[in-house]
Amino acid sequence: MAREGESRSFRRKFCKLCFDKVDRIDYKDDRRLTRFITDRGKIVPRRISGTCARHQSQITEAVKRARILALLPFTSEQYR
Amino acid sequence: MKTYETTIIFDPGLEEARINEEVDKVSQSISQASGEIVEVQRWGKRKLAYNIRKRRDGTYIHIKHKSPPELIGEMDRRFRLNESVLRHLTVLAVKESPRVEEPGRPAEPAAAEAVHAVSPNMEEKV
Repeated sequence: MAREGESRSFRRKFCKLCFDKVDRIDYKDDRRLTRFITDRGKIVPRRISGTCARHQSQITEAVKRARILALLPFTSEQYR
Repeated sequence: MKTYETTIIFDPGLEEARINEEVDKVSQSISQASGEIVEVQRWGKRKLAYNIRKRRDGTYIHIKHKSPPELIGEMDRRFRLNESVLRHLTVLAVKESPRVEEPGRPAEPAAAEAVHAVSPNMEEKV
């Protein structure tokens, strides 16, 4: 986002979860977690999503748990 | 005694009565071990993100309970042996930190949220 615009469309990334004042991310909340995985089912890295360290580690933990419970995919259907 | 959250995915073909039976069995084993059921949530039939044992859906049951740690291993063993359980996961419940909004210092020290028992049948993945 910031890189390609070459200073013109530069916009500082911020942690959306801090912005929403989320205290703790729950592995049962798959609706929220889908925002932090790619269409392939990968966890979006911090450098892309701009999440803070605290929330990123919570996301990672939650996504992994949600995958075990088949709430989220390990990988998307068509790449299997 | 610790508070745990156990989620169980049952075979979608199981009828209501059978599931109730299974849930009763679990709650009995908890109370026998002098534990305590805090809450039972029935999420009902949900679509699975990927097929487990060729099933597309599963019936989800979520139990919050206080149990002695020794019971968790035993519970895990039973779920593995139980053919109608597609998947299960037990984690330590997060203590709901009293939301004291101190300026600059968010209430945090309840972060003791470690995974205790995870046992998916790995061979079904990918």
